[in-house]
Amino acid sequence: MMKRQIPLLIVIVVGLITLFGHFFSNQGIQNFVDNDSTQWYDIIASFAIFLGALNLLKLQLMKIYKKQNNWQYSILAVLGFFFALFAGFLYRGAYTVSLSGVAVENHQEVAGIIATGTHNNVALITAGLEGNDDYTIPMVFMTEGGAEALGEDLSSYGATVISPVQWGAHLTVKLGNSGSLFWWIFNYIFTPLSATMFALLAFFVASASYRAFRIRNFEATLLLSAGIILMLGRVPVGQMISPWFVGFIFILAMGAVIAPMVKNKFITVSIVVAGIAILTVWGVLTGWDSTRPAIFYFPVLQEWIFNVPTTAGARAIMIGIGLGIVGTSFRIIIGLERSFLGEK
Amino acid sequence: MKKFIDILIKLGSVDRRYIFVLVGLSVLIPLIWPINIPIRATQQSQNVFNAIEGLAPNSKVLVSFEYGPSTKPEIHPMSLALLRQLFENGLKVYATALWPDGLFMSADAFGTMESEYDLEYGVDYVNLGFRPGNEAVVKGIAADIPTLYTTDTRGIQITAIPMMKGIHDVKDFDFVFSLSAGYPGTKEWVQYACDPHNVPMSTGCTSIQVTEVIPYVEHGQVKGILAGMPGAAEYEKLVNHPGLATGMMAAQSFAHLVIVAFIIFGNITYFVQRKRDQKK
Repeated sequence: MMKRQIPLLIVIVVGLITLFGHFFSNQGIQNFVDNDSTQWYDIIASFAIFLGALNLLKLQLMKIYKKQNNWQYSILAVLGFFFALFAGFLYRGAYTVSLSGVAVENHQEVAGIIATGTHNNVALITAGLEGNDDYTIPMVFMTEGGAEALGEDLSSYGATVISPVQWGAHLTVKLGNSGSLFWWIFNYIFTPLSATMFALLAFFVASASYRAFRIRNFEATLLLSAGIILMLGRVPVGQMISPWFVGFIFILAMGAVIAPMVKNKFITVSIVVAGIAILTVWGVLTGWDSTRPAIFYFPVLQEWIFNVPTTAGARAIMIGIGLGIVGTSFRIIIGLERSFLGEK
Repeated sequence: MKKFIDILIKLGSVDRRYIFVLVGLSVLIPLIWPINIPIRATQQSQNVFNAIEGLAPNSKVLVSFEYGPSTKPEIHPMSLALLRQLFENGLKVYATALWPDGLFMSADAFGTMESEYDLEYGVDYVNLGFRPGNEAVVKGIAADIPTLYTTDTRGIQITAIPMMKGIHDVKDFDFVFSLSAGYPGTKEWVQYACDPHNVPMSTGCTSIQVTEVIPYVEHGQVKGILAGMPGAAEYEKLVNHPGLATGMMAAQSFAHLVIVAFIIFGNITYFVQRKRDQKK
């Protein structure tokens, strides 16, 4: 009862209220749909992140415990998990030092000390000191000790204040080229790893297109042609390819296509020669315009592919998905679909 | 001739590692020795630019950061170009993030802007940060911002931020810009916030995402689109500030050319092989 009926009842009631909220002009229902339900969702989503993290930890620990395939990587995952947790929740790792009341004649000397201590440019520091009486040194210190050490070096020139960055703000704080421990993890571990994984796609796409884009039938030819047009049309180099050149290639390709269908070679050659002659005369008359004829210009062709066939296809898919969502939602609301309860 | 065809067929079944090396070189060489390739802005990029230019000074623009390090090379140059245009035109920028990584991207972008412009936090821009909940966050922004965001990324109470006064929901913004690399992103902004409340919006997204966003662009629900790195380069040109994307256009162009060359070569060897098989 508790495990199945109550969750089902909650889903049915909330689903019906949310659905009818769009059809009835009732302030209470409207308020629930627009405000309360989304806040509920936000709260549940926040808890879901917590549960997701625990689940990840549990799975990785189980993998290590059972010594499943590649369990060694799970050790890294667990260590990374705790390291990020430590830097995010337990260790702030972000302190700033501000300096005030420095005499003008000492600016150059102080700038030298700060520049050495923070690996910054002396001129930049001097300009900062001259512009502000209360100057924040452009560096985030990961340890309080580090901040204090520089503060002591500067204490004879003016008043120094060491301030911890606020919890929460410490995640993204950045001064100069330095930040908190969490910022360091994001910038120097997560970012390169993530970028590397994504960059590998280029190599796989190249290899896959080389092997898969073959003119086997009409559909494959369409896919290949659209692929080539998009690849060239989207980049500046595509704008540099003359549409007349593409036009001549097109006529020759058409000749190759019709050649097996026409037995008399003279007819095929005549068609190709006539096509080339017409295009040449057209080019001479129009002064070989670099963007016309548009039908052979890659950027225009790719725009047409995006604006017409792609839009039509995407709309068809979206309408299909929409109808599917309506159907599935209705089944959930009336209690027919119970897979979210773990039922098959 | 037979020997030539044999070599051709042999090359046709080339190990993919050679393809990897050539693609790698085609990207690496133009990055080491930059080549200046002229960039022409497409109509869609121009539409984005015109939409922003049409906003009066002090207009409120909500910029949502929905990308991370993996898509940073594509989207981040757009963010910088867009923010430059917004700050140069004297517009007020409100930032949110639907992705946790987006928080870092926005902090990075604003860090760059602070070094270029004389900006005051809370007066010229505010960073509201990340909230979990995907489309529910978008719906929350559409309905009640002060309930959803009580503090900003610096831990400052929203009520204490000058430029947050009078901001209650998405209708209080003059324009929304989604910098998106997937879900949740542009689609959710159209469906749950901008279209129902009639707030104009635009987007800059990854090339792969264009297909799912283009129907909204074609219908006018999204004012233009910056499509992938070429879109970013075009926008850099439009705001007259060539940056990272412009520099990377040569690399992307050559990589595309190499892939197209491989496809053509692959088809030639395929036909040669097929003809030989038919003869047997």
